Amino acid sequence: MAKYLLRRLLHGVFSIIAVVAIVMILIYSLMDRETVFDADNTYVHTASNQREVYKYRKWEEYGYLDYVPYSDYLNTLVRNGELDAATRDSVAAIGRKPANDSAATKKYVKQFTDYYESRGYTVVRLNAKMQTTTRVVSGGQQQLFAYKNTPLIVRLWKYFTHLISVENIHNIDKEIDIGKRGIKITLFDPVYQTYNEDGTIAHRKLALAIIGNGTRHKYLLYTDGQFPYIHQNLISINLGKSYSVRQGIDVFITMKDHQGSYVMSTVTFPTGITEESAYDLHSATFSQGSRNSLAFYQARFTDDYTNMSTVKGNPSKVGYSFMIGIIAVIASYLIGVPLGVIMARKKDKLVDKIGTIYIVFIIAVPSLAYIFLFKAIGGKLGLPTTFIMDSKSKLMYILPIVSLALPSIAGLMKWIRRYMIDQMNSDYVKFARSGGLSEGEIFNKHILKNAIIPIVHGIPASVAAAIVGAIITERVYVVPGAGNLLTEAINKYDNGVIVGVTLFYATLSVLSIILGDILMSLVDPRISFSSKAR
Amino acid sequence: MNNQELVNLSEFELSDEELFARVDHNDMESEKITAPRYSYWHSVFRVFFKKRINIIVLSLLALLLIFTYVYPLIIGYNAETDPFVNVNDASTKHLNPSKAIERFGFHLKWILGSGASGESTFDSVWYGSSISVSLAFICALINLTIGVVVGAVWGFSKRVDMIMTEVYNIIGNVPYILFISVMVLIMSASFWTMVFALTITGWLGIAYFIRTQVIIIRDREYNLASRCLGTPILRIAMRNILPFMTSVIVTLAATEIPSYISYEVFLSYIGMGLKDRSLGKLIYAAENAMVTPGWEFEFWSPVAIASIITVVLYIVGQNLGDASDPRTHM
Repeated sequence: MAKYLLRRLLHGVFSIIAVVAIVMILIYSLMDRETVFDADNTYVHTASNQREVYKYRKWEEYGYLDYVPYSDYLNTLVRNGELDAATRDSVAAIGRKPANDSAATKKYVKQFTDYYESRGYTVVRLNAKMQTTTRVVSGGQQQLFAYKNTPLIVRLWKYFTHLISVENIHNIDKEIDIGKRGIKITLFDPVYQTYNEDGTIAHRKLALAIIGNGTRHKYLLYTDGQFPYIHQNLISINLGKSYSVRQGIDVFITMKDHQGSYVMSTVTFPTGITEESAYDLHSATFSQGSRNSLAFYQARFTDDYTNMSTVKGNPSKVGYSFMIGIIAVIASYLIGVPLGVIMARKKDKLVDKIGTIYIVFIIAVPSLAYIFLFKAIGGKLGLPTTFIMDSKSKLMYILPIVSLALPSIAGLMKWIRRYMIDQMNSDYVKFARSGGLSEGEIFNKHILKNAIIPIVHGIPASVAAAIVGAIITERVYVVPGAGNLLTEAINKYDNGVIVGVTLFYATLSVLSIILGDILMSLVDPRISFSSKAR
Repeated sequence: MNNQELVNLSEFELSDEELFARVDHNDMESEKITAPRYSYWHSVFRVFFKKRINIIVLSLLALLLIFTYVYPLIIGYNAETDPFVNVNDASTKHLNPSKAIERFGFHLKWILGSGASGESTFDSVWYGSSISVSLAFICALINLTIGVVVGAVWGFSKRVDMIMTEVYNIIGNVPYILFISVMVLIMSASFWTMVFALTITGWLGIAYFIRTQVIIIRDREYNLASRCLGTPILRIAMRNILPFMTSVIVTLAATEIPSYISYEVFLSYIGMGLKDRSLGKLIYAAENAMVTPGWEFEFWSPVAIASIITVVLYIVGQNLGDASDPRTHM
């Protein structure tokens, strides 16, 4: 069994990698790069050569290519000590045409060209666009840069090697002086300490914390009053940075971070200032020179770990999708399975016919149509039809849950009925009947147990679908869930988010299939995944 | 034996010679089958039309198809200009049926009111459904053809099975909307792009389904016997297995065709659909009309027509699938 599962997991990992590769080919190679700028305002407002450069800069951000402007190359030379700052300034200005370059500039331009061309880059020099002999068109300044398209393998490798990052004390650049680097384990978490006027500790609380210096996060492990009580920042998952959906934020964080309005609480900052704040001190990450940049930080912090997230009161995107989805899943199993059993027992009677009409309705009618129908009916009954995040009302959950549950009830009814009717003519049923068991016993104890096995297989998949969210339902009821993330990312050409969300979906789906198989073998002892033949 | 049951031979009015002629054993004669002639398709239609409901549903389908394909031709619907003929007349916009009839006089085209640019909802809905239904039929045809052929090979060959199962596991994990939206982005949202996007991976699910069916009947005794007698694999596939699967394929088509209409509606709704004014596009465009009092007809008309078309297609397909199962022909 263990060996089999290991092989399945390896297969799963392989297919996840293949999926990410396919998605990368789709969005990076097949899609026209220019479409990235379709909804870009800056692009519209730049012109001429500046627009070209803007395009390459943006493409680098989106992960299409590696872009190096001439000035960056000179700066690297200065940093490596091959060039002094004064010479750099004199050779940085290139002429409007190559012919206009000074001799020294020419030398460095040649060096730049040779260096990057030998590494497979394409060097582009855009001559100044002239309006008159002396005036340059707006944005038409001369440009020199090199670029190289990132090949698929490199992109894949980079993506998967950066997927999971583990904190270490050399994460912050060696050159930055932050005192002694190291990791400290304390039983008294400083976040919970309060101070007297003279700076001595007034109160402290027994709480385990691991604090790092030199790591990106300050708190690597801490406890608090929220589920699951012990939290860690030691290992983080990077699914890919977003560019337009939530700029600069990792998809994983977008999915799991709380949303909504701030929740204020009494926070004692490291300098001893106590105030009402929504900052989450445990989320502090390093931001170089930040303490000295703002008086606000200077008054509150003792080091540069000042970059914090805020505590927000509402569940995350995945949280909302999961909450609505899981209730719908549970409800549909609780309702769908018994209804399917009744339909099978009363085959060809009225109940069965009504059930069949309902199933045909759900299968045949476009899902959009019946969701709108539920919305209209719900609205007539006085239920809220849109989701308002800060509303305390629990009623707004009803319609999304109903819209999700009703179709899956139909699916369950259909299959349970089918499987049970298929079982009804088996020999063991005839035997049980001849043994004098009542119809109720036969159905509930014997047939149902056999018919439920394929249904059990689908449970993990429906839970996974609940996490991923339902696109139409969440859109129709304006639920701030994860279902819309992929479509939003596609509409905004946010490649990082597309890849990240796909990876997330693929992982969940692979895991749910494996879990389904395990669950099936637990329910049905006849199914065995061990390689030994019985 | 009772005497009264004895037959008087004279009532046949035949001579003794004829009555007692010797009948030789004839091999040719003994091969003749005296059962009534059985024609598969004849029986399919006999079983199909025996149910009264099928005749009703089929005529409804015919009516829908006439409205979908013939009505726009009769009125000479021009998709470029017709939706915008009244665009400058504010008094023609968002009218419900009674107001529209009041405004324009009674005509078939105003019985569903008018839309956001004063166009006839009735006309737009039928033109939209001609696009959606065509898309569904073409996609179903392509996907079923590729799916059945690939699925048959997939089920037969163990080597192909290994490769294809892996491909299926991988492609199945790529979100479907991603394929479609990338195709739409690459090639612009035209009708044939949509067909391409819906068929590029759509056949895979059908092929997988067919593969499972083929595996189930591949190793039955009659196929084993056929193989022992030296029938080539291709002939087994075409003559022994394919007829067995006709009802499965028809049933599959019954679920596939409506599902493409639903899919088109869904894609238009999330903003990745066709540029043409298909049913999905109409629903998407009229979404706000749903909650605006007096404008409901604009929204519910395309929704209702889409639902009726899909339900009718589904029922016809399912019943045809039932009828094409030889076990129901007895």
